[in-house]
Amino acid sequence: MSIELGHFALVLAFALALVQMAVPIIGAQIKNDTLMRVGEPAALTNFMLVALSFMALTSAYIQSDFSVLNVWENSHSAKPLLYKITGTWGNHEGSMLLWVLILVFFGALVAVFGRNLPLSLRANVLGVQGAISCAFIIFILATSNPFARLDPAPMEGRDLNPILQDIGLAVHPPLLYLGYVGFSVAFSFAIAALIEGRLDAAWARWVRPWTLAAWMFLTGGIAMGSYWAYYELGWGGFWFWDPVENASLLPWLGGTALLHSALVMEKRSALKIWTVLLAILTFSLSLLGTFLVRSGVLTSVHAFATDPARGVFILGILVLFIGGSLALFAWRAATLAPGGLFQPISREGALVLNNLVLTTATATVLIGTLYPLLVEAVTGDKISVGAPFFNLTFGPLILPLLVIVPFGPLLAWKRGDLWAVSQRLFGAFGAALAIALLAFVLVDRASVLAALGIGLGVWLVLGAMTDLVVKSGVGKAAPSVVFSRFKGLPRSVFGTALAHAGIGLTTIGIISVTTLETERIAAMQPGETVQIQGYNLRFDSLRPFTGPNYTEDQATFVLSRVTGKPLGEVVSSKRLYTARQMPTTEAGIRTLGLSQLYVSLGDQTPNGKIVVRIWWKPMVTLIWLGALVMMVGGTVSLLDRRLRVGAPMPRRKPAVEGRVA
Amino acid sequence: MTRKQKRLAIIAGALGFIGAATGLTLYALGEQTSYFYMPGDLAENPVAAGQRIRLGGLVEKGSIVRSDDTHVRFTVTDGSNTVSVRYNGILPDLFREEQGVVTEGVFDDSKMFVADTVLAKHDENYMPREVADSLKEKGVWQEN
Amino acid sequence: MEAGCCWDKIFSKNLRVGERGGGQFAKWPQLRRVGSTFPGGYLGPMLFWILAAFLTFIAAFAVLRPFAVRQAPAEDAGAHDIEVYRDQLEEVERDAKRGLIGQQEAEQARAEIGRRILQVSEAADIRDSTRSNRRVTQLTAAAAVLAIPLVSWGLYVFTGEPGMPAQPLHARTAAEPADASIDELVARAETHLATNPDDARGWQVLAPVYMRLGRFADAQTALQNIMRLSGETAELKAALGEAMVGAARGMVTADAEGVFEQALALDPNEPKARFFLGLARAQEGATEDARTIWRGMLENLPDASPWREAAQQAMAQSGGEGASARGPAAGEVAAASDLSETDRQAMIEGMVKGLDEKLRENPSDLEGWRRLIRSYVVLQRPEAAKEALARAVAAFGDKASESAELKGFAANLGVTIE
Repeated sequence: MSIELGHFALVLAFALALVQMAVPIIGAQIKNDTLMRVGEPAALTNFMLVALSFMALTSAYIQSDFSVLNVWENSHSAKPLLYKITGTWGNHEGSMLLWVLILVFFGALVAVFGRNLPLSLRANVLGVQGAISCAFIIFILATSNPFARLDPAPMEGRDLNPILQDIGLAVHPPLLYLGYVGFSVAFSFAIAALIEGRLDAAWARWVRPWTLAAWMFLTGGIAMGSYWAYYELGWGGFWFWDPVENASLLPWLGGTALLHSALVMEKRSALKIWTVLLAILTFSLSLLGTFLVRSGVLTSVHAFATDPARGVFILGILVLFIGGSLALFAWRAATLAPGGLFQPISREGALVLNNLVLTTATATVLIGTLYPLLVEAVTGDKISVGAPFFNLTFGPLILPLLVIVPFGPLLAWKRGDLWAVSQRLFGAFGAALAIALLAFVLVDRASVLAALGIGLGVWLVLGAMTDLVVKSGVGKAAPSVVFSRFKGLPRSVFGTALAHAGIGLTTIGIISVTTLETERIAAMQPGETVQIQGYNLRFDSLRPFTGPNYTEDQATFVLSRVTGKPLGEVVSSKRLYTARQMPTTEAGIRTLGLSQLYVSLGDQTPNGKIVVRIWWKPMVTLIWLGALVMMVGGTVSLLDRRLRVGAPMPRRKPAVEGRVA
Repeated sequence: MTRKQKRLAIIAGALGFIGAATGLTLYALGEQTSYFYMPGDLAENPVAAGQRIRLGGLVEKGSIVRSDDTHVRFTVTDGSNTVSVRYNGILPDLFREEQGVVTEGVFDDSKMFVADTVLAKHDENYMPREVADSLKEKGVWQEN
Repeated sequence: MEAGCCWDKIFSKNLRVGERGGGQFAKWPQLRRVGSTFPGGYLGPMLFWILAAFLTFIAAFAVLRPFAVRQAPAEDAGAHDIEVYRDQLEEVERDAKRGLIGQQEAEQARAEIGRRILQVSEAADIRDSTRSNRRVTQLTAAAAVLAIPLVSWGLYVFTGEPGMPAQPLHARTAAEPADASIDELVARAETHLATNPDDARGWQVLAPVYMRLGRFADAQTALQNIMRLSGETAELKAALGEAMVGAARGMVTADAEGVFEQALALDPNEPKARFFLGLARAQEGATEDARTIWRGMLENLPDASPWREAAQQAMAQSGGEGASARGPAAGEVAAASDLSETDRQAMIEGMVKGLDEKLRENPSDLEGWRRLIRSYVVLQRPEAAKEALARAVAAFGDKASESAELKGFAANLGVTIE
């Protein structure tokens, strides 16, 4: 019964979403407060209903209820409990339900934390959220219903793809979806503003925390996905320019641009039209990503839905929302008043440059992702656009942006003094140059690129710190004053500095791995030793091992420094999941400082040796540490009081602190 | 400069940047994309040595020859034509005889395909899309 | 799944399948069904509709709430904006005080924010000039409240299965095995064997079940596994041959013939192998040879052997139809499967013996006692059933609730002790 109740709750959520879409928007049109207020309880109840539905599906997974088709297809009674739970969204139907759950979750958040918004704006935002929910719930019910039943129920399920049986899967999609779907709020704000025909600095302030939250989650989701691919796929790549990865990178780039342009709009009331367009485009890219991943039009690791009916349905949603919103935009944009003016050399100017580069880079990634599909549709030729394309286009476009990042926060609004800012950054520049030279001389004299790249990363980190130093007045005031000023800086200043520093760390990681990585491939037998990057790796033993639902050949390596200092063992294995007869490689990874040693097993050679592939990945962990720092920066910014300006208090009540925490 | 001139200069700069990006993209699309071929396509239209392509098909039964080091040779077939492939490195977990495979690389002067990447289908229900389509056209493979 | 979990269940299930005619005994599982598998089994659908109606009510209430609850009138549209701009002004003051921006910049910023506040007031005046339309409001509200039950119930009727209960695996495996279908039990056994392919006992139980279900290929696998684990016997070989005949739709193929000959090499008097070899000759059209084989069989077989009748029947049929080649006769195949019943009976005897011994070692297994007693009843050994009940009562103690339960259970089956 719980299954059917979950199913019913989802259907009911659809009906309620219809109401949430229509009533508040009609209310806003005819200026009726009561109708506008329907949005909030509807959004909250909708969240409750979809959550109930999701819980019903999860409990079916936990209890191995194979009378549910979806559970039978994707679960197995012998699976560990954790993977039964994560299996709920490890498949097409369940992941779409999670998508909708997160969508209505954001709707409920707007209802709860949106009290500081004018009633009509809140009503329109919730109405647009309701429209998106409608489209996706009906998509689930019509083409991918996770509650389809099986009668009689089989006694055993068909297991979950073992590659997906991993803790990475548990965290990666929810985070990614929190990001993807979070941008729906920015989209709803944009549409609501266009419907109302009002777009001003206050709007930008209201939309920023939502954009920031979505951006943070997406950053985390992308980083998790990257790390998961790194250690699970067994070849140690952290980014493959796989279309599915691109699908998550695109809204990230768009969202980053949106964050910056909304800043200009809030401060200076400028870039209004552009910001609204970016909000629409960013969520459109999220929808596009959902389409690419869910329709199965791509050849990629994630292709687990191959039903064309679904693709056509999502394409319909895509066309409806993107087309509809752009049409509304074209109709309304002309009526928006222009904003404040500024000089090219100014904070605004820097942010515009940021937007120009980011959107251009977004466009190249988009072209590279869609071009093969386009070519195939038109000519029937099958081509692949891989890493070389993106390295050649995305790289040169984004690197100059990284060079100018430290200037941005130091420039004044309206009219900046480039020379003064450069002087302040002189220290950071000198230090970065010194480190680049040091890297060139000490680490690798062959690679100028590596040295420059590391220098660039250091420049970003130190440049971000310089902003904090300058703003707290180091060198101009007494130490005690500096300290109190430092403490008094707005949180958003720290957030900016951390996020920019995080970009720097990730840059260092990426550049050093791609340019300085070393690799050894050797056919080894127990007892043999391979030397790599000052370490000795001795192949100790190869023995069979049986896990809960797999068997494996486990190779143990003993690691030591060349000088003889022992560093323990590294275990790598080749696994065979028995239910599906599916082999996987479990890499042995050893973190040494910021770097990692990555050991992966291959096949046996005819003379009984085993092929072992060993990588030395210098400073590879910085790639994900950087993302973590960016997320921390986002969190700190979210805590800034400016983003929490409360609703106006009714005048009758005593004046209490009216901020919504 | 007057304000108008300044604005024009900025717009020109932005257009220049976008133009450069477009040029770069077009160039990269021309140079860095690799076309997908089956052995049969290559029999009809041979590809020059050194041009980067993707080659897909089935791994021919009994064709995998491993040397004592890390080199592997095998033959990719579409049922009628075959191409010999050489590869150095670890083959993917799902690389097996008579299973779909996509390799990426170039032909050397002796018509041997030197692959630097080998991708195998990634689970039991999934065949590289290009391979599946082409094989279905030829009737070699059917979806079960 | 714990090792060996399913054999007894399958086995008891098999008893039920084997039970012919039914009588009071066949009704017993139905009696047990009430409330056993799914708590509130009959209440389920009803409860579902009640809860669904409750959810619908909540959703409709959510829509109606703003109409029912009187709320403070909304602030004027501009008040929220002004709140933001006031905060921006405060921020400019803070930045100026901290020296982050110069005096001149601060002045300009203040002026700009001031202009925004002015704009807001002007816009608010224009916006407030329109008033709402009562009729549209009422219509919208009514449509919204009606839409919720209509859309949700209307849609659910198409997509849902309201009568279908949830079936958690745990509840299903814990349920009385007699209630589970034979397919479920077999599936359970198969999973067990997939992970423990060396469990000979499991294969022994499954092999005859497969034969009954007509899954001859699986039966062959099972028999081959038994032979792999516990050695070849003439009987097993003959059974394997029989499975091969079944797989070939009753035709004794050359391969099957080979297997029957192997069986005869191990035991020249193996009746099943001889019978099928005779059948092979008959299918080839060499009726006379066939009759010779069967006649030889009849001479050697003890009077009580069930094969006697089969051979006689086959001879009669082949005689009646002359010497023409023909396909498998339905009667022969039926006879063969009837005969395998006897084999199965022997196997069951062995199983019951095993269970009996297990309970001697571990007498606290209530479920095991039930199975044992029921098994003896099915095997028509009432004395043994009584003896088992007495042993169980002795093990649990006369006063124990388990003893009372077992006595009641046995009484239902017609087994009583004083």
